Amino acid sequence: MYLGIDIGSSSSKAAILDAGKTLVASCVVNMGTGTNGPGDVLAEALRLAGIDRGDVRYTVATGYGRILYDAADKQITEISCHAKGIHYLMEEGVRTVVDIGGQDAKVIKLDAGGSVVDFVMNEKCAAGTGRFLEVMARVLGCGIQELSDLAGQARNDIPISSVCTVFAESEVISRLASGAAREDVAKGAHASIAKRISGMCNRIGYAPIIAMSGGVALNRNMVKMLGNELGEPVVASPHPQEVGAIGAAVYAYERAAGKDGGAA
Amino acid sequence: MAAELLEAIGLLEENALHPARTIARTIRETGKDAVGCFPIYTPDEIVYAAGFIPVGMWGGKTEIHGADKYLPGFCCSIMRSNMEMGIRNAYDFLKAVIIPAFCDTLKCVCENWKVAVPQIPLIPMVYPQNRNTDCGMKYMEDEFRRVQAELEKISGETIGDAALETAFGVYENYRREMRTFVAEAQKHPTLIDARTRHLIIKAGFFMDKAEYTKIIRVVNAGLAAAGSEAGGVRKVVVTGLLTEPIEVLEILRDNGIAVASDDVAQESRQFRVPARDTGTAIEKMIGRIADQRGCTFLYEEKKTKGAMLQEMIRQTDSVGLIVCMMKFCDPEEFDYPIVKQAMDEIRIPVLYLEIEQQMESFEQVRTRIQSFAEMLS
Repeated sequence: MYLGIDIGSSSSKAAILDAGKTLVASCVVNMGTGTNGPGDVLAEALRLAGIDRGDVRYTVATGYGRILYDAADKQITEISCHAKGIHYLMEEGVRTVVDIGGQDAKVIKLDAGGSVVDFVMNEKCAAGTGRFLEVMARVLGCGIQELSDLAGQARNDIPISSVCTVFAESEVISRLASGAAREDVAKGAHASIAKRISGMCNRIGYAPIIAMSGGVALNRNMVKMLGNELGEPVVASPHPQEVGAIGAAVYAYERAAGKDGGAA
Repeated sequence: MAAELLEAIGLLEENALHPARTIARTIRETGKDAVGCFPIYTPDEIVYAAGFIPVGMWGGKTEIHGADKYLPGFCCSIMRSNMEMGIRNAYDFLKAVIIPAFCDTLKCVCENWKVAVPQIPLIPMVYPQNRNTDCGMKYMEDEFRRVQAELEKISGETIGDAALETAFGVYENYRREMRTFVAEAQKHPTLIDARTRHLIIKAGFFMDKAEYTKIIRVVNAGLAAAGSEAGGVRKVVVTGLLTEPIEVLEILRDNGIAVASDDVAQESRQFRVPARDTGTAIEKMIGRIADQRGCTFLYEEKKTKGAMLQEMIRQTDSVGLIVCMMKFCDPEEFDYPIVKQAMDEIRIPVLYLEIEQQMESFEQVRTRIQSFAEMLS
């Protein structure tokens, strides 16, 4: 068995492949690096796969907390793992991966074989990340899951012009105080992220098929609005939150099998 | 590996890591005073001829308090650092500072310095926009002569032509050895890794160039005698204003990335242009600035930076380009599209690293560099 563990800033993900390279378990725990999250997600993945830790032949760690996870045989960045995971899950044709996580956002350009040829990450700022949506959801008094539905009911476009999350929060409060509908403001928040990510896509030159991974890909309005902004359809990946962990598990499989081309 | 080589490398690394200690020792051992030289180019030969040690002032990691009053957080971190240290009296041993107005921030620093650090005399200077025209060269000569006169006032001594020629000779020897060093270094990517390469070059900013050149000759001779290392690292070219904080270079090293060549203002741009054969020392100094190509801070009617970097990549068989972008450095940012386009033309991947001297967290940088290394595999 081959384990991939993706330790992010706000959640931990794990995936297990069997000897036939089939995905047998994947799961998410909403606690990230520096918490019990990595231990809990590992226990859950082992339980789902019905195996013990000793059955794992090779482990690859990825994500923000990968360096501190000393139980891994190898640590590989989330950029490489998301590319690998998308290629595994979606097979052919994906040339651009948009990964929006809790703390950062990445756009990864792939070649026809699924290898990374370029990437761009957001700077040290929550703009364009899941954190931005969390802040907006809190201001609008709803859960992160409801935010997408709320945006789907919008009737008007209300632009959120501030890029900075802190300033955007103030702007949203002002909009609400001026009588703007929550639905319209929710849509504006989504549009703000779409614009930000679109800028990153333009910077490296995106090409279809565009796949989206990361927790924000569960937000169907976000996926749709990003597609509208880019003028190309965006497809949410299967298991969007676990793509990095699945990619890490694929690396674990390949390294153990001696098939890896030397990714790290 | 010869013990003499390792000792020389270790000495230069130590000198670069402890600038204050190195400068104090240089002053003590030479009996000379020091003059601070701000980025990017200053007429160091004139400073040397005046009997001073020119000291490179390329900032450093420090906590910003007083400098915020003059340079807010969106200004170049090198200048914020220099201003902070000036305000904190850390540079009070300097007899003067020379500040060339290469960018908007440096122009502001010229004025701010007079108020914020009045105890250290300021010698501002301006390079001409058109470096290769007769009037541009005449302007440059007038500026150099004005700096010379200012230094003469401070030292109380006239700088003779013979002293200028001698100083220029010292600096030409230094620059020749540095060109040899960077050529030798690329044959030894493990011994002279990204961090060590940078520190060896940086040490020269805090030492008497004659003394430094003696040590770098030992390094060059040792490297030549050692023969080339086997491969196994990913060779890249680096461009930018500077490559610090040092942690960035350590991450490059840890990910098996070696700097085969550089277009870094603090590094090769200081010595890559050989002097012309004829003319006085001042004329040769002017010639060196006029002949500099591909530098962001020196105007070029036709930008040659992209083609220059392409050639550097080819010559060194490098597999990638790393752009160390100093945060808020407009001139360097203006050049980025040209650089990216040039690399796209020859299908060379580019890593854009935004850096600032006061960085404390390196996790994002680590992920970017490691991803780049994985991508190059």
